Amino acid sequence: VNGLVQRGAWLSIALLGLGPGLAEAQGYRLRLDSRVQRVTYRGLTMDSIPVGDVVTGPTGGPRTPDNFAVRCPPGSTHCFFFRAGPELTGGPLVTTADLTLWGLGISGLSVRMNGRLGLDLDGDETWPGTEPSAQLVEAYAEYAQRQFTIRGGRQLLVHRLGITGFDGGRGIVRLGRSGVEVDGYVGLGLGRATALTPTSPALDPLDEFQPQSRQILAGSALGYRGRRWEARVDYQREVDRDSRNFVSERAALSLNVRPTARWSLAAGADYDLANTWFGNADAVLRYTSPWLTVTGGLRQYRPHFDLWTIWGVFSPVPYSSAEGAVFVRPLRSLELRARGERYSYSDTETQTPLVDVDDDGWRLGFGASYSLGRAWRFDAGYREEYGPGASSHGFDALISWLPTTVLSLTAYGSTLDRPLEFRFNDASVDVVGVDAEWSPTNQLRLAVGGERYWESRDRPDAAAFDWNQTRLHARVTLLLRSEADGFRLPPALRTRPRAGSR
Amino acid sequence: VRRRSWFGPLLVIGVLATGTAVAWVAQDRFDHWEHRELFPSCAGCHAGAEEAGAPLYPQTANCADCHDGSIEDRVEWAPPTAPRASNLKFTHSTHAEEILRATPDSALRCSACHSESDGDPMQVRVAVVRNCLDCHRIRAEHLEAPDSACIVCHVTLVQAVRLSRTDVSRFPAPPSHRAPDFWERGHGEQARVGSRGVAGSCATCHARDFCTECHVNAPEVAAIQALQPDPRSLVHRTELRAPASHADPGFLLGHGQPARKNAVECATCHTQESCLGCHEASPTVALAMHTAGPGRGPGARVERKRPESHGLDFTDTHAEPASARPQSCGACHARAQCLDCHRPNAADPSPGYHPAGFLTTHPAAAYTRDQSCADCHNQSQFCADCHVSAGLGSTDGLRGAGYHDAKAEFLLNHGQAARQNLESCVSCHSERDCLSCHSAQGGRRFNPHGPGFDPETLRRKNPSMCTACHGTAIPGE
Repeated sequence: VNGLVQRGAWLSIALLGLGPGLAEAQGYRLRLDSRVQRVTYRGLTMDSIPVGDVVTGPTGGPRTPDNFAVRCPPGSTHCFFFRAGPELTGGPLVTTADLTLWGLGISGLSVRMNGRLGLDLDGDETWPGTEPSAQLVEAYAEYAQRQFTIRGGRQLLVHRLGITGFDGGRGIVRLGRSGVEVDGYVGLGLGRATALTPTSPALDPLDEFQPQSRQILAGSALGYRGRRWEARVDYQREVDRDSRNFVSERAALSLNVRPTARWSLAAGADYDLANTWFGNADAVLRYTSPWLTVTGGLRQYRPHFDLWTIWGVFSPVPYSSAEGAVFVRPLRSLELRARGERYSYSDTETQTPLVDVDDDGWRLGFGASYSLGRAWRFDAGYREEYGPGASSHGFDALISWLPTTVLSLTAYGSTLDRPLEFRFNDASVDVVGVDAEWSPTNQLRLAVGGERYWESRDRPDAAAFDWNQTRLHARVTLLLRSEADGFRLPPALRTRPRAGSR
Repeated sequence: VRRRSWFGPLLVIGVLATGTAVAWVAQDRFDHWEHRELFPSCAGCHAGAEEAGAPLYPQTANCADCHDGSIEDRVEWAPPTAPRASNLKFTHSTHAEEILRATPDSALRCSACHSESDGDPMQVRVAVVRNCLDCHRIRAEHLEAPDSACIVCHVTLVQAVRLSRTDVSRFPAPPSHRAPDFWERGHGEQARVGSRGVAGSCATCHARDFCTECHVNAPEVAAIQALQPDPRSLVHRTELRAPASHADPGFLLGHGQPARKNAVECATCHTQESCLGCHEASPTVALAMHTAGPGRGPGARVERKRPESHGLDFTDTHAEPASARPQSCGACHARAQCLDCHRPNAADPSPGYHPAGFLTTHPAAAYTRDQSCADCHNQSQFCADCHVSAGLGSTDGLRGAGYHDAKAEFLLNHGQAARQNLESCVSCHSERDCLSCHSAQGGRRFNPHGPGFDPETLRRKNPSMCTACHGTAIPGE
């Protein structure tokens, strides 16, 4: 509680500090976004019975008298099984403020902040991501001139090594008009893919290994940006402040070439200097025109684990894949798409004599979108994948209707069959959902929606209970900005992903 | 039939009534021609046209001499109490002296301005513009007169204080304003006079407020500053239009270079804010522009367009170009847009990147890492937290993992799956689960190290990691 109060106080001080700046700034953009969701679902709960109470089921396996298949570890006095757990309800409410200030009296100076306040309205903390309640995603001041940029505060780095957050400083120097730039940064790192420090209890739900203090993050990069191509070399290290041991040390190369307006090649790779292996690498050749996009590429995927865990020594192997995709727009109102990928894992050098585990797989998907005038849009897709430990196939469909320019109504549904990986039997899921979004003014957007999941499990015992879920959600987005360009919400906001995409 | 019998008389009455009204309106002005026999000279009624201080109009009583109700019908008329609102630089007294020298006949003198050149002097008109132009030797139509000619007869709009906004709104537009390039280049070239002046033709109809409707750089343009402010000039509405160059399909991607070369020209219409509308994440681009503020135009409202590089599959494939050149994304996209997907919101049912209902498909997609989940999701905070609350996580040792709810033999055959999909294991299991068998200090002491394991480098980088299993007896030390 003390920590929460302390963070709240810091956040309040920061907001109060920004208040006068907001009043005096000649330019600002403030997006306030509140979203709430209500979710009910049923989980599992472990149970046990004495070995003596176990009965033999119709297929010869051990069961409880009420027909739950059980596991009886050798030498144990009890057998174990899972019952349907109680119905859980989550009610996450998250309010995000995203603020940009400029025109603060010093040419080139700007301030940016993105923070969230969140809580679980149902109070039983069943939903992830609502603890701690205050999270500062970004908060930094930037001074930019033509030849250099300096930035201080909490910020996110975006490069081939991932999206890394840290509290510290960053400087970028641009060498004249040559296109060459040098980037350097140092600070205290945040947890991977989160706005929390790695010491946060929220990052330790299983009470596993966890660093005692935040790591020092430092890195540099050399980049070139030309008219037809750009390249960037990154080096980044994270060092434990207490032991001075490395948490990670990696380097990456990125390359993007555009020989013509329609053709491009994007490629890159990262190398783990601690594990002395390549992590992710890819090369994608793409042709893009207003009516056709074709891509073909190769890639390798290998997960990265920080060295304060021991996961890396279990030698995760990469998979290599070849993939291709084509998008065609034969008519202005019709879009067809197809994608396929085949992948294969490297040799794991393990033996599994009792089971036959695949080491390669494939996935494909295709779909179509059709627009009827400006008001109607229909989208349908099919996807299927098969691989070691994961397979599924199913359909998606979506209908959007815009009765007016400020209102959109969407209904969607999908059905999916998926063998439960390394588990007992198959499951099928059906989903139906509706969304409505209304923008009464350029600065205000309201949305409500809900979806229902029916998941049935096909197994011959009493554990074939359903995992049905109901989700309801609502959203309010308010955009405030200086009058000079306060005319509409940014049109580049993301759109709803198409059915059948990844 | 009965109705039609009433229609004709009603129509006649209506037409007559309308005609009477039109005739009455026509008689609202004094009919000089009708009275031509009574008044041999103009000065008899309009003495002020010749003598400074004398009244320009006759008294009401003069009319009543005849229009007394018996000789002629009475009329309701009174002389104007103030001069007519005008932007003419003109007084009768100054003109009278010059014309008096030319001809002693007052009727002829007045007709020099108030009658057509070939008309009868008593066919009186409001001053005939052609006569003014001829007398002042201006060989052009009124609205096509050269810039220097306007100030011969007209004061500036700011000086014409008696003109109302309605009067100003009735100013006719000169033909030059209809030239195709007038608004883009022509008007500026016409307006400039010397280094700090403004053409009189502009000042006749316009004031500074009008220019600042569009010109962001108004304080820097001498011709605009040479004009006085006057809000009446805003009755002439205008709006920014994109120059022809902006219609080029390649303009979006190529506008940076001309903008760097000649930012002054861009600053005519664009504020820092209009650049930041797109270049939000790279404000250096906007530094050459002026910030919006008093005395400046609001600037062009820039709407984003989708570049050609953002093809039909761009949502799926933006990762490679975004990582190779994040600055180019930052030129148009606010960081908040990235955070919508890359820092998922716990209360968002559809995080944005994934399609609707992704919850149903995520086990397979996550298992083989179709995409790198860890770019956006922290496995502990996001995956493990949810799996634990659903009873799937391993909260009670290996046997407590509900995910493998009835697959007891999986434990004996998990090696290949673990090395292929270790991230999936980590979303439910802690290190302790694995150390119960894979520690050098206890359990079954199974060696977890596999292909690619580089003990020397790892020990050099982080020996603490080795002690988790090996204690102080790290092999090789």
